[in-house]
Amino acid sequence: MKPKKQGLYYPEFEHDNCGAGFICSLKGVKTNLIISNALDVLSCLEHRGAVSADGRTGDGAGILIEIPHVFFSKQCDFELPVETEYAVGMLFLPQKKTQANQCINIFQNEIKRQSLKILGWRDVPVNSKVVGSIASKNQPVVRQVFIGKEDEKQSEKSFNIKLFVARKISENRIYSSELTQKNYFYFSSLSTRTIIYKGLLIPEDIKRFYIDLANPDLVTKLALVHQRFATNTFPTWDLAQPFRYMCHNGEINTLKGNVSRMMTREELLQSEFIDDDDMKKIFPIILSEKSDSACLDMVLELLLITGRSLPEAMMMLVPEAWEKHKSMDESKKAFYKFNSCIMEPWDGPASIPFTDGTYIGALLDRNGLRPSRYSVTKDGYVIMSSETGVVDIKADNILSHGRLEPGKMFLVDMEKGRIVKDEEIKSTISKMYPYKKWNTNNILPLSRVPYTGNRTPEEKLNLETRLKIFGYTQEDFKKIIIPMCQNAKEPIGSMGTDTPLAVLSKKPQLLYNYFKQLFAQVTNPPLDGIREEIVTDTSLSLGSNSNLFDFSEKHAINLIINNPIISNEDLDKIKYIEHTNFKAASIFALYNKNKGHNGIEESLNKIVYDVENHIDKGANIIILSDRNTSKKNSPIPMLLACSFVHHSMIKKNKRSKFGIIIESAEPREPHHFAMLFGYGASAINPYLVNEIIHYHHKMDFLKGVTINKAIVNYNDAIAKGILKIMNKIGISTLNSYRGSQIFEALGLKSNFVNKYFNNTPSRIEGIGLYVLEKEITARMNNAFNKKNDSSSIEIGGDYRWRRDGEAHMLNPKTISKLQESVRTKKYETYKEYSDLINKQSGQYMTIRGLLKFIDYDPIPIEEIEPWTEIVKRFKTGAMSYGSISKEAHENLAIAMNRIGGKSNSGEGGEDSSRFFRDHNGDSKNSSIKQVASGRFGVTSYYLTHADEIQIKMAQGAKPGEGGQLPGLKVNPLIAKVRNSTPYVGLISPPPHHDIYSIEDLAQLIFDLKNANRKARISVKLVSEIGVGTIAAGVAKAKADVILISGYDGGTGASPLTSLKHAGLPWELGIAEAQQTLVLNNLRGRVIIECDGQLKTGRDVAIACLLGAEEFGFSTAPLVASGCIMMRACHLNSCPVGIATQNPELRKNFKGKPEHVINFMYFVAEELREIMANLGFRSIDEMIGKSEKLSIKKGIDDYKLKGIDLSNILYKPSVENNISIKNTEKQDHKLNNVLDFKILKSAKLSIEKRIKIYLDFKIKNTDRAVGTIISNEISKIYGEKALPKNTINLNFSGSAGQSFGAFAVKGLKMTINGNTNDYFGKGLSGGTLIVRVPKKATFKSNKNIITGNVALYGATSGEAYINGIAGERFCVRNSGVNAVVEGIGDHGCEYMTGGIVVILGSIGRNFAAGMSGGTSYIFIDSNFDERNFNMEMIEFEKMENHDFDILKKLIENHYSNTNSRVAEDIIKDWSKTKNMFVKIMPTEFKAALEKLAKEKITQLIN
Amino acid sequence: MGKLNGFIEYSRLSEKYFPVNRRIKNYKEFTIKPKTSELKNQAARCMDCGVPFCHSGCPLGNLIPDFNDLVLNNKWKEALDVLHLTNNFPEFTGRLCPAPCEAACVLGIIDPPVSIEMIEKYIVEKGFSEGWIKPVIPRNRTGKKIAIVGSGPAGLAAAQQLNSVGHDVTVLERDNKIGGLLRYGIPDFKLEKKIIDRRINLLKKEGINFKCKIEVGKTKSLKDLESTYDIILLCTGSTIKRELEIGGAYLKGVEQAMDFLTYNNKYVDGQIDSFSNKFNSKGKNIIVIGGGDTGSDCIGTSNRHGAKKVINFEIAKKPPISRNDKNPWPHWPFTFKTSSSHEEGVHREWSILAKRFIGDENGNLIGLETANAEFDKKTMKFQELKNTSKVWDCDMAILALGFKGPEQNLPQKLNIGLNNRENIDCNSSYQTKKNNIFIAGDCKRGQSLIVWAISEGREAAYYIDKYLMGTSSLPTKKIEKDL
Repeated sequence: MKPKKQGLYYPEFEHDNCGAGFICSLKGVKTNLIISNALDVLSCLEHRGAVSADGRTGDGAGILIEIPHVFFSKQCDFELPVETEYAVGMLFLPQKKTQANQCINIFQNEIKRQSLKILGWRDVPVNSKVVGSIASKNQPVVRQVFIGKEDEKQSEKSFNIKLFVARKISENRIYSSELTQKNYFYFSSLSTRTIIYKGLLIPEDIKRFYIDLANPDLVTKLALVHQRFATNTFPTWDLAQPFRYMCHNGEINTLKGNVSRMMTREELLQSEFIDDDDMKKIFPIILSEKSDSACLDMVLELLLITGRSLPEAMMMLVPEAWEKHKSMDESKKAFYKFNSCIMEPWDGPASIPFTDGTYIGALLDRNGLRPSRYSVTKDGYVIMSSETGVVDIKADNILSHGRLEPGKMFLVDMEKGRIVKDEEIKSTISKMYPYKKWNTNNILPLSRVPYTGNRTPEEKLNLETRLKIFGYTQEDFKKIIIPMCQNAKEPIGSMGTDTPLAVLSKKPQLLYNYFKQLFAQVTNPPLDGIREEIVTDTSLSLGSNSNLFDFSEKHAINLIINNPIISNEDLDKIKYIEHTNFKAASIFALYNKNKGHNGIEESLNKIVYDVENHIDKGANIIILSDRNTSKKNSPIPMLLACSFVHHSMIKKNKRSKFGIIIESAEPREPHHFAMLFGYGASAINPYLVNEIIHYHHKMDFLKGVTINKAIVNYNDAIAKGILKIMNKIGISTLNSYRGSQIFEALGLKSNFVNKYFNNTPSRIEGIGLYVLEKEITARMNNAFNKKNDSSSIEIGGDYRWRRDGEAHMLNPKTISKLQESVRTKKYETYKEYSDLINKQSGQYMTIRGLLKFIDYDPIPIEEIEPWTEIVKRFKTGAMSYGSISKEAHENLAIAMNRIGGKSNSGEGGEDSSRFFRDHNGDSKNSSIKQVASGRFGVTSYYLTHADEIQIKMAQGAKPGEGGQLPGLKVNPLIAKVRNSTPYVGLISPPPHHDIYSIEDLAQLIFDLKNANRKARISVKLVSEIGVGTIAAGVAKAKADVILISGYDGGTGASPLTSLKHAGLPWELGIAEAQQTLVLNNLRGRVIIECDGQLKTGRDVAIACLLGAEEFGFSTAPLVASGCIMMRACHLNSCPVGIATQNPELRKNFKGKPEHVINFMYFVAEELREIMANLGFRSIDEMIGKSEKLSIKKGIDDYKLKGIDLSNILYKPSVENNISIKNTEKQDHKLNNVLDFKILKSAKLSIEKRIKIYLDFKIKNTDRAVGTIISNEISKIYGEKALPKNTINLNFSGSAGQSFGAFAVKGLKMTINGNTNDYFGKGLSGGTLIVRVPKKATFKSNKNIITGNVALYGATSGEAYINGIAGERFCVRNSGVNAVVEGIGDHGCEYMTGGIVVILGSIGRNFAAGMSGGTSYIFIDSNFDERNFNMEMIEFEKMENHDFDILKKLIENHYSNTNSRVAEDIIKDWSKTKNMFVKIMPTEFKAALEKLAKEKITQLIN
Repeated sequence: MGKLNGFIEYSRLSEKYFPVNRRIKNYKEFTIKPKTSELKNQAARCMDCGVPFCHSGCPLGNLIPDFNDLVLNNKWKEALDVLHLTNNFPEFTGRLCPAPCEAACVLGIIDPPVSIEMIEKYIVEKGFSEGWIKPVIPRNRTGKKIAIVGSGPAGLAAAQQLNSVGHDVTVLERDNKIGGLLRYGIPDFKLEKKIIDRRINLLKKEGINFKCKIEVGKTKSLKDLESTYDIILLCTGSTIKRELEIGGAYLKGVEQAMDFLTYNNKYVDGQIDSFSNKFNSKGKNIIVIGGGDTGSDCIGTSNRHGAKKVINFEIAKKPPISRNDKNPWPHWPFTFKTSSSHEEGVHREWSILAKRFIGDENGNLIGLETANAEFDKKTMKFQELKNTSKVWDCDMAILALGFKGPEQNLPQKLNIGLNNRENIDCNSSYQTKKNNIFIAGDCKRGQSLIVWAISEGREAAYYIDKYLMGTSSLPTKKIEKDL
């Protein structure tokens, strides 16, 4: 079983991702071969799963098959009815016999109560020897139960419902019992058609464990298989997949909201088949502590019980992106729209194979974030899996190769022996009811709500007073609101944040500030709502829900709002609505100031009472308002009121009957709005912001926009901001974000959180209602203080330091002291600086500020390892050349190389001239080379020169977001390093497009390890709850180093909202990672690194004691180099020449390597003093010794005294042999890589540069082929590599992922067959060819041949693809010329260079964010202009040189692949050449023209 | 905020002056108002720093980036409001402050700093000329009576602050007009006295009582004072002049700068009808001893008298032209500065030590013997260099050597004691050991800048109000964050 919650480890934050697939007979032929083939599929997907520390316990695997009637008839010692007339349950039971018997009794009893019959029991024979030591600890007893119908006449539907009810009630009864092993009780399956064999096993052991599976009598026409990769090693038997109707590869990001909304729907459930008493007993529908996939399965099961078909239910749960789909069929749209009133999307990456035993199919999420490939054979089998090539199929047996496309479904109808395509399935389902008519009759868009003329009365208090009540500052106006009004975008800032956490601040804080946004990292990708807007939606509906068992148009009675940030006028429309279906009621969220916090409690209870009253009287829209404040009546924090109403009404089972609208003066920045939605609001009217905008407009502070435009801009900016916050955690629609509570409280008491924000994590305790109220009163007093009414609103000081504003760690005093100390090399001056940072006297700023060292055991300082050793563990942070200047970047590198530390290239690549030492012996080479989502300049050569390769999953300042380098910073030198065009802005996407899940990360780690076997692979994460679990997953994915960053880190540019509100301090992250890794016995395998505003030796000491062994610094060394925290990095105007590319300003850079070295030396010396006091002779002795830390005593500040840091200092009790620091190296399992075999044959040829031709067989398990060879060539020949086509490699079969990754010039790799995802990743000059095998009969341009995300981040080379490629083809291509015969969605996204020729159809959203390069697309019958994202591109006229280039490429394609398509085009060139359209980014074209001009000017001069 | 790259686009512009020959003909201010567009461009040079060191460098904590931005946006009235948030009398500091803000300005690292003081001055002057500056009369009166002894900038700032929250404030001044050093120490060519009167009139309208020619302890008894007022705030300044204890100091023609300037100021103000030869520099060889601002004022005054020759001695060595490593930004730059008075004509000598005044038979000063000097780090004193003696013609020597501290009469009588720096002693809340007596300004911190005096007055007002009322809504600064 999972360990209990302890320290910072919360079991609920486990994630899983996986490999999945199925095989079925198209015609329904039952064989035993299907089972063994299916299990072979799993073995071929083994690299997608993970193994625990014992090396044996898998994260779980399983197989779903048809009930083998013949087999059971033989095996059972009792009579069985005919096939499908009985049900078989596959049951896990407690190890303790008496407990198992009790469970059995309870179940049998319920079966009887449903008037069903127990036919008998069968002990399932298992071979326990194959179970790993971890899994065996909680290995259940497995038995099968056979259940018969009430009588022969009982319908299958009725039988299934009764089985469902009996099982549900038994589960609830057993789980609520006192049995110690109650959690063992679990039905893998209980069905009349399917049965599931699964367990905590590695795939190849399933067959060995379940002896049944080897029996030839076991036959089936279908088999669904799954293997799990959980982020940590607490997987359990019951969470192995498949589940009863599906298995899932992916992650549901919206789970919390889905679960709580499912709960609210329970109150409405009624069915003619289930009596009301039983209905109540089956709740909760979703059992607690289950995985996201298990939860989805439980809801799916319910939907099936309501009578929906499997595909229909799947369409409801995981709808495709219909909202902005321009070409979608109207009736299908209507179906989705109707069902969006019933069920919000279960949103997140998902490839979901499903079956009910008759149909088998699969579906993909709207973003297409998981790979799903299928093949149909001529001999009648369908094989679907995460990868192609998992079953050996002869080329001439292939009928077709396909893939699931984003949001699409496919279904095998085995009765009819055919595949039903998405269109057909959905069209049938969406025509079952007149959805369009139902929608028109019932859905009310806000625009159609008539204005009644009633208006909200004006406020009595003047504006200034109210601004003070709600804590507005000048900064709110100048830095937040006005910029949004002007630009309709979120305001940007830089250099991170250094103000105290809300709970440590002495300024009264809004409640929102006590919460931090969570974000996606590793286990699922953040999304890209800007470039991939088509899959997003911010509309929300208001109204009540209805009974899921009903099929009625009444479900659609909903008021729909497109942008739920609404104006005063829109609010008035709703407030005074007169409509039969809608009734609104306003409730004020105010309290009597004199009654203090009791007043708030009293009012909140009254509010809930009023809400309930209104609902009972028929209201379905509740407006919570903080208008009408007065000297006596203070506002209740709106978030508190909203969340409390939301949760209270869930408890009262009435939440599904109404929507909440917020009318509040409080919210002003995206974080505030996002939180209100996250805790249940459906629309928000920020009336005070509207007044502020009016005021500033009147005052002429808002230049260039009309008042209406200003408000619209503001609302749009907020909507974009919310979208970004949603996208950060991987959610595309506001409908499923609503109520999802994806936040962590920081500094709030858990009893307060449990009461008002139920189910939100809060790990360091803190303040409650009492202090919160004090803060409100402080603002009220300030507002009503008449003596002071002449002075204006407070100045602020959150984003820029002000003396009377919020405190900052980096203030005039600390900055000047630090600079003085490093320039004069005076340790005393440094100590003055570090004392100011460390002591935090008068104002605590950080969690570490509240800690102190204890248990002194002094030793002479001479005995401590010297500073020169210590600084080898020091690193400077990832700041790209581009974001900072050449001078500043190289200065850091030289300094770190001199002392043996490590500097980091950042994500901008690195000029290869820096790889070699200067004449004076200095080296500018960055030891750490970063690989970020933009993949700028990531080539084989670049990777070859790294000591450490860092995969940036997230960065502290803006976790879950991409980056942007504005065009003006992209000077020609930077453009060269980044393989881009000068002056064209560069964007890095929010996700790595080759990491949508943990197994993808494992793959990238594998790729990079292949690219440079000597380099350590590091994965950079950002602290948040669950980071420990993710770290465990990353450790299992074989990272060598895990970097945990604090939320407060600096950056070149970040939305202010992210800077302040996303992520958590590193103290929590490091401690959680340490605790979780130790609990998992994974700590020894990895090095833990910490960064995020580390500024002093004391900071390092604390990080080390909490578990870190290496340390990164960014802001402080920059300050040492002259940075004065201008916070203008994003503006290119850094006056001291650091964060600028302006040549004049760069001259101002005065930093020297010595300054950085002095800083590192000082920090190490300070650290040594601490070590001497504590008695540690080396860092090694010190790692993870959190017992040397304690919480400062005597902190009696009213806000601080509630803080409890014991969870941070918690040390899990584990056996002595379990390591608490890095002790071993990861086994990267490179031994069997195909490249070694190739290398053997090609060695001589590489050395002598002689042409060679070699042939190899290849399987999907041969991954990253070509990468090691490229690394070897890079080592010898550098950037130039080999002459073109020197090493010619021919492969046949299905290539594994990352075929040709980072392949260099001189390599020509041809594959006859097909390939999986990440084909040509980071291609660095090589030539890659995929061609249909000669014997194959299918048409190349109708069949998929390569997977998703091909040529991602490729920098140069050629690729010829004789078929269709999956989604996201050529994302971030910066120089490869590629020819392909068709592609999926989001093609050429973020492309900055190269030429892409597409001879077939393209998917949706082509060329989004494309800022460079050219694309030629053949206009075929599917051509649809709506598939292009026209934001950055234009259709260009074809010129003569275009025809030349194009023809040459198509000819190459033909000569390399024998493509029929190419042949046809070439044959008829004079005609066909006019059937191409040329795409070129507008900005790119302008830049090319500018460059051409510059060149001419140069020539003239 | 701010104009992006404004600092690249525009160069620093300092306030321009009338030509020397024109300005030394009278005692009027001689600055030339820049065009509004020029002021806006200067404000555009402000970089909207993440950490505005100027704001930290200013003892008052003036919200410099904020008012610069408002000026840039042509929001003068709002700029004035922001300025008045932290500074009671920008018209004084805008003219007289040595501008530590500009020394700390981040732009100063790479370029001449933003002309902060000039912008400040023209914000407030625009405020006066537009009639935006009006008396703010408190709505309620607390009934608490406060006496402020001394009407220099500290006393005036405290008075305005305390009055604004409704206390009944009386300012007692022993001289015959209000203003202290502002009025009698600063020459008119740097601060015309109508500027002070303009502000005093406003303060009077706000309800502050001013009583001149009252010397506490002499013309008004302490007992009387303590019984009449709830609180007494001493802002008596640092007025004991430092003497030069060398031979001949008794000679006629050896004068204290403050006597010289006060006399001249009273003359310019019309309080003296005929100008005494004692303080007249006309036709004389003048040597001003002391290289500070006061010395500079004496030079300017002497030139206006029509001195034959003006020489200025400074014992310290000539400072460097620009900052060096030991004196980095953002600290006050100890660099060579030329004041407007220096421009008007002076010969300056550094590292020079006055050894002896030489008189004629009538006891009149005729010369001054000097030697070169060097600072000895061991003794922490200036040591004479051998064989460097020199004699200078000198008809009047003006001693601008600063002040030693507050007069001790009053604190002794009040029995509130001095600290080891010879200033009046108080706790961190500006309160002396007698609860009803507070102190602020130079009498508390020793001789200092006007901007510090205003700051002291404001802080003292805050602590007094807090002491009287329990809490205070008056602004106060976070002292620990001062640079």
